[in-house]
Amino acid sequence: MFNIKNIFIKLGQLDRRLIYLLVSLSVLIPLLNPNLLQLPTKTTKNTQIVFDSLNDLKENDKVLLSFEYGASTKPEIHPMSIAILNHLFSKGIKVYIVSLWPEGVMMAADAINEIVDSNLFKVEYGIDYINLGYKQGGPVVIRGIATNIGSVFTQDVHLTLLDEIPMMNNIKDVRDFDFVFDLSAGFPGNAEWVQYACDEYKIPLSSGCTSIMVTDAIPYVESGQLKGIIAGMPGAAEYENLVYDYLNNLEYNKFMNKNVDIKPGKATSRMSAQSITHLLMVLFIIFGNISYYLTRKKNN
Amino acid sequence: MNFSIEMIGVWFAVLLTLSIFSYLYGDNPFYKSAEHIFVGVSAGYIFAITFWDTIWPNLFGRLFPSYVQAGFKFDIIYIIPLLLGIFMLLRLSKKYSWLSRISIAYIVGMAAGLKFYVFLNSNLIIQIKSSMLDFNTDIIGIINQIIILIGVISGLVYFFFSKEHKGTIGKISKVGIYFLMIKFGASFGFAVMGRVSLLIGRFEELIKYSSKEYSYSTPIILISMVIILTIWSVKETKNDKLKQINKR
Repeated sequence: MFNIKNIFIKLGQLDRRLIYLLVSLSVLIPLLNPNLLQLPTKTTKNTQIVFDSLNDLKENDKVLLSFEYGASTKPEIHPMSIAILNHLFSKGIKVYIVSLWPEGVMMAADAINEIVDSNLFKVEYGIDYINLGYKQGGPVVIRGIATNIGSVFTQDVHLTLLDEIPMMNNIKDVRDFDFVFDLSAGFPGNAEWVQYACDEYKIPLSSGCTSIMVTDAIPYVESGQLKGIIAGMPGAAEYENLVYDYLNNLEYNKFMNKNVDIKPGKATSRMSAQSITHLLMVLFIIFGNISYYLTRKKNN
Repeated sequence: MNFSIEMIGVWFAVLLTLSIFSYLYGDNPFYKSAEHIFVGVSAGYIFAITFWDTIWPNLFGRLFPSYVQAGFKFDIIYIIPLLLGIFMLLRLSKKYSWLSRISIAYIVGMAAGLKFYVFLNSNLIIQIKSSMLDFNTDIIGIINQIIILIGVISGLVYFFFSKEHKGTIGKISKVGIYFLMIKFGASFGFAVMGRVSLLIGRFEELIKYSSKEYSYSTPIILISMVIILTIWSVKETKNDKLKQINKR
């Protein structure tokens, strides 16, 4: 018993660099060997609500997709963007992209390029999707979109006047969209879309956000102000699986190209690394607490 | 070896990623350089994109529409934001820095006014409405709603400081503390999950760039960095010892 106590006390004095090394290995090994451990992902209620809400949309419905993330949060949010765009394009829904983060323009371009390169859908710029680019101002820009989109955006990302783009006919404010989807990693994010646009004009809104934002966004989900939420990388993996199954079970339609392979998304392959690291973290927390308790007892 | 722009970008990305990770061992010149580059590039990028995507079309496009051609009509009222912007930059001048207070006053007033209504509507009225008990649901739903209601009331009591937390108020506020603890625990769990996700993203790229296609950039840079840091660390230790001897 005495020896076990000492082992636990010594565990608490481990060099932090050894802990970093263990965490690195717990991420690296599953990434190098994805077949080592494959844990199933179960779809949570909130992800299912997002999927069902977007699935209820019909051909030619208009969705405003807001990119509010950058390179630092790309691993979490980008797989969601791809899965959402795959889902929307497979239903012939018109996508309107805005960026409220400076790097959002690049992220949006990256996501669209990935979709176009996959050759899965017959999508054309200006007909199926449009990128309105970036505007600085956060909540003020959201308010501008809510009340008069022309007061903020007059050109798309290629500097073409919006009046010359047929997709923009009859788009005056947020009420002309059937759904708003926010890909968010901070401020401005889903809370600002709830407050400045969608609550007041009663436009359905949903969000995919970083894990760290989830606890702040959950009250909006519980109250129905957000139609579900895709929570971090596990949420992205769940949504990817839902879209993957949906596309595989989908009969050929006019929006999709024939004989193209549907590939599973990136978040799914990252989940085993995530699970193993979480397990390691839980062990660290338990051992750390036992060690802290024993050290305090010994000192007393 | 293919010296394309993309390849240079890849090598630079790997170098910067590993430089940032090197901080886990301790502060070092690689980390410092990467940190300074990050700050500089971020500031430059944000300044450029904000100017060309917002200030140029939305402000100058309204003041000089025929020159900028952003699709806006001439609007003299936009002289006010231009002036407020110039006032803000006058913070750099000792003599005229007081003018920036006008711009700050405008921003504070406008933001407060804008936030007041939306916050009241979305975070107060709708949230209170949603915490009401709805008995037209199943038993699990009702239990969940009761738990939320207890959490809301006890949490609010915990932040009620006009009465000493003793007796019934003390007991209720203690329940509030437990709810807050659970919230902090969940936040911590999600924060860890988020950080691990980002680590996975970086590792995935480092693994990708380890291939022959990218000229083995990750292992080459990693080994070079370890060698340089070891030499630097040995030299630093020697210098520290010399300094200590000189002091004595």
